[in-house]
Amino acid sequence: MEEDCGDIRHCFNCGTCVAGCPASEADNPLLIRRLVRMVLLGLEDKLLDDGTPWMCVTCTACEEMCPMGVKPFEVGLAIRRWQSRKDETYIPPALVEIFETGHTQPVEKAKELRRSVGLEEVPPTIVRNQDLLKKFREMLKETTIVKNNDYMFKE
Amino acid sequence: MPKYGLFLGCNMPAIRPDVERAMRLALPAVGAEVVDLEGCTCCPAFGTFPSADENASLAVSAWNLSVAEGKGLDAVVQCGSCYSSLRLARAKLLHDGEKRKIVNELLKGAGKKYEGTSTVRHVIDVLYNDIGPDKIREAIKKPLNGIHAVIQYPCHTRYPSEVLGFDNPGRPRMLQALVEALGAKVDSYSRELQCCGGAGGFARVAYQDAVKFAKKKFDAIKRETQADLIVVNCITCLMHTEKVQKDLSKGGEEFSIPVFDYAQILALCLGFDPKEVASISVIPKDKVIEKILGTA
Repeated sequence: MEEDCGDIRHCFNCGTCVAGCPASEADNPLLIRRLVRMVLLGLEDKLLDDGTPWMCVTCTACEEMCPMGVKPFEVGLAIRRWQSRKDETYIPPALVEIFETGHTQPVEKAKELRRSVGLEEVPPTIVRNQDLLKKFREMLKETTIVKNNDYMFKE
Repeated sequence: MPKYGLFLGCNMPAIRPDVERAMRLALPAVGAEVVDLEGCTCCPAFGTFPSADENASLAVSAWNLSVAEGKGLDAVVQCGSCYSSLRLARAKLLHDGEKRKIVNELLKGAGKKYEGTSTVRHVIDVLYNDIGPDKIREAIKKPLNGIHAVIQYPCHTRYPSEVLGFDNPGRPRMLQALVEALGAKVDSYSRELQCCGGAGGFARVAYQDAVKFAKKKFDAIKRETQADLIVVNCITCLMHTEKVQKDLSKGGEEFSIPVFDYAQILALCLGFDPKEVASISVIPKDKVIEKILGTA
């Protein structure tokens, strides 16, 4: 994997990344040092079936704490990307939401709620400008993930 | 008056617009002008493009950053994930000329260009470092006298400190100082720096485990403090700490400490209407708002 994750060969499995990780407390825990080991050992089949990278809370404490300059947080994201490339069922549906509306939440449907707190019904984001949203989609259509999975991204 | 572009993200304008309203009212009232960043999108959140395609992800970040650049302003952000995602993307784009080239190629069709001139500031950073607790103390009309608050510190504003830090990462105190400037007594507790557990995939993939994790925090708050309210400064912390308390209460023991975003509590102290700045909640806020406004 050509990704900027620090040099993962420097990892000696000390477990600092796990010690501060909220998702390491789950019953089926995210153990980032274990994932690093799987990458180093080339255990591709096992790694492809492992859903734990998707439990990261994205707090990045592991990256701050790693004594070896590895970026465990970036390792987790890189594994997610690799999984998404290998198996499109990993691709988060939120990508399609962003492609369609520019957002992960129904910003354009909150009119009444927004009016009730004295705000403009539609916020000044991309939802207010359909021409711009079209250009945004055109940009995304040029990216690898959308090109390779174009059946998901329909207008 | 210092001026910033307000980056809204997704959750705040769609689900908690009262926080957006509070920011739009309270920031200028303490001397921080905010203007709209038109045409922005999702930051993108870590669970979206950053988890699928890095170049696409950086293009979306650069799209948003270029809006602030077009206005010659830095962006101010409330949501912790937006802050971290945009800051990390900016660092990558500045560090890697090759990626910047790819991203600018993608942006070209929309007539946009990423230059790297604007940065992204968290609202705590702006309020503490640009405005300052003293100015806030002078501006408020209804101080939080006799109110005990606890802090839920937004984890995304701490690490990696080299890229996005503004406070002491191991011992952040700026949000506490901002709450103290409102006249509240801030009670410390053993799990103050524990993440809420609401961001990313933990709560989505293993919700009950995330609730158990959060319970440790709420147990500590209940055991160790006299908290009338919790102050957060991240939209995920706000939504998750409320939802978790509601779900924990189903177990019989009551968890019902009202949660406020800092801008909401600041706006109340400045005299703005609670119907506009603190009207949406899962855990009722009415009683503590009455106490603050002296209308109880």
